[in-house]
Amino acid sequence: MIKIIQCLAVCLVLCLSVSTGFSQVLPPPSNVTAVDTPNDDGSSITIKWDAAPADSGISGYQILRRLAGGGLEEVGELLPAGTTTYVDSTIEKGNAYAYIVRAVSETAATVESEETVPVSGSGEWFHTGKIPLFIAMIAFSIAVVMSIYQARSGEEVFIRRIPGLEAVDEAIGRATEMGRSILYVLGLGGVSGPATIASMNILGQVARRTADYETPLHVPCNDPIVMNVVREMVKTAYLNEGRPDSYSEENVFFLTDSQFAYAAGVDGIMLREKPAAIFLQGTFFAESLILAETGNSIGAIQIAGTDSEHQLPFFISACDYTLIGEELYTASAYLSKEPMLLGSIRGQDWGKVIIFATIVLGVILELAGVNWITTLLQRVS
Amino acid sequence: MRRQVPLIFCFVFGIVMILTQFIPHSSSQSLYQEVIGWALIITPFALILSSLTLIQTHLTRIRRRVEHWQYSIFVFVGILGMVVIGIPFGPQNPVFEWLFNNIQVPMDATMFSLLAFFIASAAYRAFRARTFEASLLLITALLVMLGNVPVGDTIWNSLLSWLPWDNGTSHMKQWILDNPNLSARRGIILGVSLGAISQSIRILLGIERSYLGGGD
Repeated sequence: MIKIIQCLAVCLVLCLSVSTGFSQVLPPPSNVTAVDTPNDDGSSITIKWDAAPADSGISGYQILRRLAGGGLEEVGELLPAGTTTYVDSTIEKGNAYAYIVRAVSETAATVESEETVPVSGSGEWFHTGKIPLFIAMIAFSIAVVMSIYQARSGEEVFIRRIPGLEAVDEAIGRATEMGRSILYVLGLGGVSGPATIASMNILGQVARRTADYETPLHVPCNDPIVMNVVREMVKTAYLNEGRPDSYSEENVFFLTDSQFAYAAGVDGIMLREKPAAIFLQGTFFAESLILAETGNSIGAIQIAGTDSEHQLPFFISACDYTLIGEELYTASAYLSKEPMLLGSIRGQDWGKVIIFATIVLGVILELAGVNWITTLLQRVS
Repeated sequence: MRRQVPLIFCFVFGIVMILTQFIPHSSSQSLYQEVIGWALIITPFALILSSLTLIQTHLTRIRRRVEHWQYSIFVFVGILGMVVIGIPFGPQNPVFEWLFNNIQVPMDATMFSLLAFFIASAAYRAFRARTFEASLLLITALLVMLGNVPVGDTIWNSLLSWLPWDNGTSHMKQWILDNPNLSARRGIILGVSLGAISQSIRILLGIERSYLGGGD
């Protein structure tokens, strides 16, 4: 009997020692801080804490917050182990919140950190993370404006020959001689798209010439707002050229806002009207080649231009001339030959020189093991 | 005056909207959202005008009996059908959904499928090895095409098994895409971005006025 009791006592001691050995005390999250999230509109607070050791037994974290004088409430879902930051975007502006980070183990044991000091969110009046971008924007703008004013003072600006833009007059002249129309396609971009605005600028120049030559100009539109703006600008171009009678409102029309229906509609116009010249200028997607190949099949002279770099190969292979990327934005200045517009292109070139110099300098410094340019650019992006 | 007012509005709103991108404060963001909201108001009015234009264009086509005028009847049938079902019953209506899924979607898919044939004819013209550049393009395109299909690596591993590199076409394709192709694309993107900024400055300063119809 005594032996049995002794055996039981030994087993009990062993069990207790084993269970004590395996049960681990969770360390509370340390160095918990809560700060107003920088560079936001004051709608969030960032909570940070130190990473726990890998063998701490922590399987997740739960964030708790307390409004001044109120009770604790859970915020968000359980965060995975290894998390050291949480942004609470559910705060009410003007209220101060204190935070606790609760560590949770797999056995649902919990331990809480100390409560942080109460903090409230406040919006900033300048995004400090965007300072390099702001400086770059100001510097580039100054370069462009200075170039514009230099050009205004009479200094001659050299612009390299752009075959696609040289061909504009040739295309309009060809259509006039053949007694056929010109089709101008603005692409699928909205009125706020830079490429659409650039395309409308080119259209303004083309419309002035078609008004002069009395060549019919057809502009099928994909966007209702673009159509209304284009109607107004084509009408003004005809008025400015003293040919208001040649302007026909019917020639600038809305087709559809559906991508492939628009492509089908424009293809139909190409095949029925057989325009002698086709301008494809603006933002294009998968319909680019459908349009360009149809235009090619009817033998029209085609001048394309887009900033959608994925569509450029299609235009290059199917059109006679293609304005590549930035050439689209210089077209209006190139065609109008206005010194102030041409001056801005020189400013644009200065921007390219600075970027090129930065790339070369960055590569050299990176090879030498100095990476501050790379770090700066990564921070900006 | 007719020209000055839009230019002043353009300058003021342009500068304010640029500044909102650098001011995260809630009042700045509210202003940004408010102005975006104003822009959205224009859309329904423009849509009405555009619909009227569409109707006018096709009525004229029918009245003048121009070539293929019969197709314009389908435009009216389509508009009427979708409006009669869509406006009173909403876009979730089963008939409306059926019409969309069984007419609009297949027609869109048909147009998209045509792209395959257009790509073939464009590629035929582009890849004719008449010049050094065209030959270079042809070779590069062949390598990329072979790298995109499993048979490319199979051919490489069978015919060039004595080389120390396996799956050579995949690696070459990736190298072409990651180096010459990506470099050229980034160059274009940089130029486009600078061009867009330069154009914006011209518009903000009122130097670029072609979008107002040209002239002074």
